[in-house]
Amino acid sequence: MKIYCVHLIVLFLISNSGAQTINATNNDSTVTEPGIYPNIYWGMIQLIPSPQWHAVKSGGLKFSMRWQVTPILYSFGLNRRVNSWRFLIAEPLARYNGSVEFYAAPEYVTFDSENGKHWLLRTGLRTYFPLYEYGEYLAASLGTSYYQFNGTDGISYEAGIYFFFGILGLQTTYNPAFEQANWTFTINIRYF
Amino acid sequence: MHKGSLIILLLLPGLMGCNALKTTYHATGRNLDAFFSSPEKVAKKIKNPIREDARLGVLWIGHATCLIQIDDKFILTDPNLKQTVGQFSKRLTEPGLDPQNIPDLDIVLISHMHIDHLSLGSLDLIESKIAHLLVPQQGLVYIPNYGFAMSELATWRHWEEDGLKVTAVPAIHNGWRYGLDDAWMKLSYTGYIIQYNGITVYFAGDTAYRRDVFSQIKQKFSRIDLALVPIAPINPREYSQARHTDPAEAVQIYNDLNSRYLIPIHYGTFSESLDQPGEAVQTMRQVMDVNNLDSSQVHILGIGEQKIFISGDKRWAKSREVN
Repeated sequence: MKIYCVHLIVLFLISNSGAQTINATNNDSTVTEPGIYPNIYWGMIQLIPSPQWHAVKSGGLKFSMRWQVTPILYSFGLNRRVNSWRFLIAEPLARYNGSVEFYAAPEYVTFDSENGKHWLLRTGLRTYFPLYEYGEYLAASLGTSYYQFNGTDGISYEAGIYFFFGILGLQTTYNPAFEQANWTFTINIRYF
Repeated sequence: MHKGSLIILLLLPGLMGCNALKTTYHATGRNLDAFFSSPEKVAKKIKNPIREDARLGVLWIGHATCLIQIDDKFILTDPNLKQTVGQFSKRLTEPGLDPQNIPDLDIVLISHMHIDHLSLGSLDLIESKIAHLLVPQQGLVYIPNYGFAMSELATWRHWEEDGLKVTAVPAIHNGWRYGLDDAWMKLSYTGYIIQYNGITVYFAGDTAYRRDVFSQIKQKFSRIDLALVPIAPINPREYSQARHTDPAEAVQIYNDLNSRYLIPIHYGTFSESLDQPGEAVQTMRQVMDVNNLDSSQVHILGIGEQKIFISGDKRWAKSREVN
C-alpha cells in the first residue's frame, strides 16, 4: 500500500506540472459558476458499463464490464477564474483538457474464481492530457490503480486515448501481479 | 450516396420515430457525404477586409461568423473557421475569410456554447488578434485560458471601451455544450447589440422568435441600423421553432426592431437539419416577396461576400494592417 501511495503522489506532481505552462491575461470581471449537480439522467447514464477483455494467462480473452465513479477531479485545463474542482460530475472540457481524477471502479469479471466471486474492486488516480482541440476531439491518459479481487490485491498501470468529447475511449491496463491476467483492454464509454 | 451513408441508413431505421432523431439521422447521412468530399471553394476570396471608406460593413465568413466593421472598430461574431464542427460535421463551404487575413479585433462575441458557435480551435487560430472576448453569463466555464482578455456579460449589462459599447440582450435558445449540461447551463446564451459612433448593430446569435422579447429590445434600442438574424434550421419546424427562427420569423424580428437592414445568417455552411440544400435562401426570397422587401433592405450575402452598408469619408485616420 505504501508503494501505491508513492505512485499516486508522483503521478499527481507530474500532472500538476502542466498547470505552470498556461499563460493568460484576463481582466477582473465576475464569473458565474455553472452550479453543476448530479441528476437522474446523469445517474442513469453512469449505469452503462464499459466492456473490457482480460488477456488471461491460460490463453484467450475473458469478457468483463466496468463501471466507474469520480468522487473528485482537479482540472488544470479550465479557465483559471473558474473553480477547478469537480465532484462526481466533470464536463468533457474539465476532464480532457487536462486533469487529475481520483476514481473508483467496480468490475464484473468472468474468471473462474475459487469461491465464485466475480467482483473486482479498483481505485486509482488518472491524469488526462489534451492532444487536439482542447481534448474534446482527442486526449490521452496515464494512471495507476490499486485493486482487490478474491482475497488478493495489487497495483495496475494504465494508459488510454479518448475521442469525440471523451464519450469513447480505448484503455489498456497492465496488472503485473494479477494471477489471472496481466493485461486488460477496455472500450471506455463515458458521458460526464 | 457514399457507402458510409448507406450503412448508417441501414443501421438506423429504428431511430425514425421522433423528429430529433430523424434530424440526426438525415444530418448524419449528409455529413458523411460531406466528410468524404472537399468543401466548396469561395471564389474571389477577399484578402484585405479593411475598408477605409466604410462606416458600416459586414463580411459573412459563414454560419454565424461575421466580421463587422464600424468605422475603425472590428468585431467578429461566433468565430468558426475550422474544417469540422464536433469532429465529424464537415463544412460544406470553406470559410469566407482566411484566418491570417482577419484584422486585429476589438471584440469577439460568443453568443452561446454550442459547438458550431463556440469553436475553441478557431479562437486558437486568431488568438493574437483578439483584444477582448465577450461571452454570456456562465460562459467562461467553457473558455480555457487564452492570451486575450475575456468577460461574461449578463443580459442587459454592457461592456464599453474606447466608445465601443456592447450590450447583452435576451435570446430564446439554450446554453449547453455537451447535452447533459442543459440541466445547469441555464444562462449561457444571449444576443448582442453593438454601438459605436452612432451606429447600432444587432447580432442575434441563435434565437427563436417571441414578440415580447423583441419589443423589449426595441424599447431600449430605438434605432438599429443592421440586424444579423439566423434563418435556419427550418425543419423539422415543430422541433426547431422553440430554438431557431425561420426566414419569416427573421423578417418579423427585422420589422419588430425597425432595423434599416437585415442580413440572414446561420445557413448553408454545415449540414445540421432536415433542410434541403438552398432551402433557407429560397424560402427567404419567398418571404421577401410576400413582405415587399427588396435587396436594398435584406442582403442575402454569399459566403466570403462583403457588403458596405454605410459609406464614409475616411473618418478614421488610424490605419490597420492585416497581420
